[in-house]
Amino acid sequence: MNVTWNWLKEFVDCPYSPDELAHRLTMAGLEVEGIKRYGEGMDSVIVARLVSVDVHPDAERLTLCRVQTGAEELQIVCGAKNHKTGDLVALAQVGTVLPGNFKIKKSKIRGCESQGMLCSEKELGLAENSEGILILPPDLPLGRPVFEALGLKDVLFEIGLTPNRADCLSVLGVAREAAALCGNPLRFQEPAGPVGEGDIRSLTSVEVAEPEHCPRYAARLIRGIRIGPSPAWLARRLESVGLRSINNVVDVTNYVMMELGQPLHAFDFNRLRERRIVVRRAEAGQLFTTLDGRQHRLEAEDLMICDGEGAVALAGVMGGENSEIGPDTRDVLLESAFFNPMTVRRTSKRLGIHTEASHRFERGVDIGMTPLALERAAQLICETVGGVAAGGRIDVYAPPAPRQPVPISVRRTNAILGLDLDRERVRELLLSIDMMVAGDPQDAGDRFLVTVPSFRHDLEREIDLIEEVARLNGYEQIPVTLPAAGVDSWLVPESAEAVGRIRKAMTAEGFSEVVNYSFVSPGCWDKILLPAGDPRRRAVPLLNPLTEDQSVMRTILAPSLLEVVARNLSYRSRDLRMFEVRPVFSAENAQKGNAAGEKLHLCFALCGRRAPEGWAQENEPVDFFDLKGVAENLLELFAVEKAVFTSGTEEPFLHPGKSALLKSSDQVIGFLGEIHPHVLDHFDIDAPVLLGEFDLKAFLEAPGRTGKFRPLSRFPNVQRDTAFVVDSAVSAQEVMETIRRVGPRYLEESVLFDIYCGPGIPEGKKSMAVRVRYRSEEKTLTDDEVNGLHQKIVDALCNRLGAQIR
Amino acid sequence: MKQQLDEILAQGRELIAEADSEFALNELKVQFLGKKGKVTALMKGMADLSAEERPAMGKVVNEVKSSLEELFEARFQEVRELDLEKRLSSERIDVTLPGRRLPKGSLHPITLVTDEVVGIFSTLGFGVVEGPEIENDYYNFEALNMPRNHPARDMQDTFYISEDVVLRTHTSPVQIRTMLKQRPPVKVIAPGTVYRRDSDLTHSPMFHQVEGFLVDRQVTFGDLKGTLQTFLNRFFGHEIGVRFRPSFFPFTEPSAEVDIACVICGGKGCRVCKDSGWLEILGCGMIDPEVFKAVGYDPAVVTGYAFGMGLERLCMLKNGINDLRLFFENDIRFLRQF
Repeated sequence: MNVTWNWLKEFVDCPYSPDELAHRLTMAGLEVEGIKRYGEGMDSVIVARLVSVDVHPDAERLTLCRVQTGAEELQIVCGAKNHKTGDLVALAQVGTVLPGNFKIKKSKIRGCESQGMLCSEKELGLAENSEGILILPPDLPLGRPVFEALGLKDVLFEIGLTPNRADCLSVLGVAREAAALCGNPLRFQEPAGPVGEGDIRSLTSVEVAEPEHCPRYAARLIRGIRIGPSPAWLARRLESVGLRSINNVVDVTNYVMMELGQPLHAFDFNRLRERRIVVRRAEAGQLFTTLDGRQHRLEAEDLMICDGEGAVALAGVMGGENSEIGPDTRDVLLESAFFNPMTVRRTSKRLGIHTEASHRFERGVDIGMTPLALERAAQLICETVGGVAAGGRIDVYAPPAPRQPVPISVRRTNAILGLDLDRERVRELLLSIDMMVAGDPQDAGDRFLVTVPSFRHDLEREIDLIEEVARLNGYEQIPVTLPAAGVDSWLVPESAEAVGRIRKAMTAEGFSEVVNYSFVSPGCWDKILLPAGDPRRRAVPLLNPLTEDQSVMRTILAPSLLEVVARNLSYRSRDLRMFEVRPVFSAENAQKGNAAGEKLHLCFALCGRRAPEGWAQENEPVDFFDLKGVAENLLELFAVEKAVFTSGTEEPFLHPGKSALLKSSDQVIGFLGEIHPHVLDHFDIDAPVLLGEFDLKAFLEAPGRTGKFRPLSRFPNVQRDTAFVVDSAVSAQEVMETIRRVGPRYLEESVLFDIYCGPGIPEGKKSMAVRVRYRSEEKTLTDDEVNGLHQKIVDALCNRLGAQIR
Repeated sequence: MKQQLDEILAQGRELIAEADSEFALNELKVQFLGKKGKVTALMKGMADLSAEERPAMGKVVNEVKSSLEELFEARFQEVRELDLEKRLSSERIDVTLPGRRLPKGSLHPITLVTDEVVGIFSTLGFGVVEGPEIENDYYNFEALNMPRNHPARDMQDTFYISEDVVLRTHTSPVQIRTMLKQRPPVKVIAPGTVYRRDSDLTHSPMFHQVEGFLVDRQVTFGDLKGTLQTFLNRFFGHEIGVRFRPSFFPFTEPSAEVDIACVICGGKGCRVCKDSGWLEILGCGMIDPEVFKAVGYDPAVVTGYAFGMGLERLCMLKNGINDLRLFFENDIRFLRQF
């Protein structure tokens, strides 16, 4: 809502400066988001009288003028032709900076000194274009700043209103607040309209078929008007609050809307078929063209203003092209009505039409203002446009049930706010915003009964009034206290602690956490080669996405992380370790808004070098086993003991030979592997990327070792190394599992420490070496004891895996 | 013989002092004290002496022998020390070369700021709760006193999944879910991801909030002011100017916007605070009785406050981050700074 200082002053005397008022409005809940000062810095442009106008001795096109400012006489060279001796003009004195950073300096023009400049409207920023210099009205006092003398010096307040304050969508409403804050009375006299001739009822009629949607509809008729441009004061007023001047009739309706908050509509009376108004619902499917030329398909819920034959306006939203006033309009029917906020809102939302009128109707206008605004507008039209009003007005009114007084308890007010206001103060504050306040006979010591005027729709309950008391008294008056220390809650979300540990563990592995949008492009399923039937393609779609690229909810994190990798590679960051912990969304539960549809996933990817670039590091690229090492460390952190990595996955976006599934007791935890070269191409990635993704619920639920402490042995361990040759097909897991199964006494740990194939090893075979450590908790083991134990392992390797000891 | 011994000792003393390596000393030791060494040879000559002379001479021989041994030992120490010194002075590295490092990881700034906010409120006795991101219209709007076709819904542009299901536009539905599950008193915060259909330089369609609320007997607006002032002081690390401005949220009344003294200019006025000296940082208020009714609490018995703040904004102000988009671009050069 835009209001100006000068306009406000018509309704209230304000002892504060504009800045102070803006601050007080802000602190009362009417946030002044911007202040514009019209004519600021232009005080040195003053009213001056032309004492003489002569032709410049050295230039025929220029004039040499002498001007009187009231304080001195100055010589000015001027290039205009429209001025003569005796005129009042706008003199920009030396030192003035005109719009466009145009500095006025003392100068010599063709040998004659010029001590300032006579300005045009354009130069003063008052008009887009202008001919000649500005000739001022003859009665202005000499020496006064021109903007001030013309009443153009003004301050615009741009107020960001909250949706509950419909009452402040008018200068009057803001003035009422200002009056309450200043402690001065609001000046508002009910406008009286023109008396008129004859009787409107004999010329037209209004029928309201839907009183529930239109409880009040008032109209006046003015005939014999001439459409034309508005007078300057009217046009400037509207422009000062950011409205465009259109023509004298429309401008009056807009002026009254801004002033009193009641949207008005002017119909070309002679274009109304049967010259009457019917307010009824639209027929579903009917087409209607609004005055902006757009065609809309109506539905039965739309409330229409109709004439004798059909629709002429979308009630409260926008008029129709078919009844719009134009240059030839002679007679206008002025509408002032109250439409049901919900009705207007449904229509304006559905059709996507947001107007100054619909904005106000949706939030609720003052039903008491309907006839007053109508009279004000009729009066202004007769005064500024001409024409003769028809006598009387039509006012079809189904008054709402009278509002019940709202009780407010002073004790409760203080209890909620933490204040200690007395009864009189509460009464005063409520009276300051025009509430009617009476003692409550049932509890005269504590409660008031407050009757709320029709312009405040938002005050219906005690708490609403308590808020009014709080804000008018000032939030800064409320003392700062702390809640009594009675409540201490230690609720923590399930698994939050574990997820925190996972995040930290990932950073310890050198990974940086990323956060991607939860919505992705449905095209990403193709990019990762998901087959047609893959359940992850059934992603939850948004009904109203911002873009196609953000139109479905993620079912897997991998594509987003690949995008991140690609983007970073394109910025030449080539050694990357990144992870994301975020939910994925399954379609099954989404429709119910059910948390069960959201599953936390961990996705991690790495590419580039294993260690940061440096003089001492080998520039080895990462491979599958770097990825797997991260997974193993996580498993160890959470003491998941029975997890197994099985070769290959069904995942089409992974390298078939360099990928694995991670399972625990047959429950799949996730996958990991090298990204398929085709997929890398789809993401424009030119380096191998290794990526894993786990379902964290499955991961955290995997059975783990109980967290019991294992005592430490004080005796030394003994180790035995064995190298052997087996078939290439024998997996490391088979070897380790064989050792584990033999499980000789005192076995502490076993490590596979070397793998070799090449010269010296037959084709189809490989050499492996294991180191086994033995340790007792009670004694130092002897060589003989250990040799005996280790032989069992060697035998098992030979017998079960066909190993040949080297 | 005594004279011979003295000569051997003098010669030994001289040669030992000249020897400059452990090897040379070992050689010398063999020459003097070895099985065929000079002292050993003399000791063999003792057999020729008379029984009277023998003990005295034996004593002298032993003295010379142990003197030599001491000399050898001392010189050995010296030579070893010299060797070590020589080695240490020849072994020099360029300590200005960078160390051998493992890759360094980092948490996303939003995770860090969430942890920090949660940490502060934990010390103030708040528990932590979470809720789903895909949310029912009922929890997201209706139960929060925002019926359908209410203009307050315009305050938040919503992504819809269906007519009744939305991407939550704020963390406030967690209030409803928590209060439906738990009787008062309730004192929790709810951090989470939220979504609004808005994308430009200062708006991201996905961002993060922390909601907090306290319901008990006799909770006042003053308590709300105190809690938030305490939080903001701790978060920014100093006593910070705070002001509460009346505002409107459908689910609180009275409602307030909270401004802090601009952390960039200290309140003098700058581009970030648009010359006002204040920065809007969070919204709050006393929980509306309609909300209590929706969850079956009796507004005549309990009161409560609620607040919500954007984590990106907190993070930007604290770290001087000037571009919201950085949070979701995931440029490693940005992420590694945290």
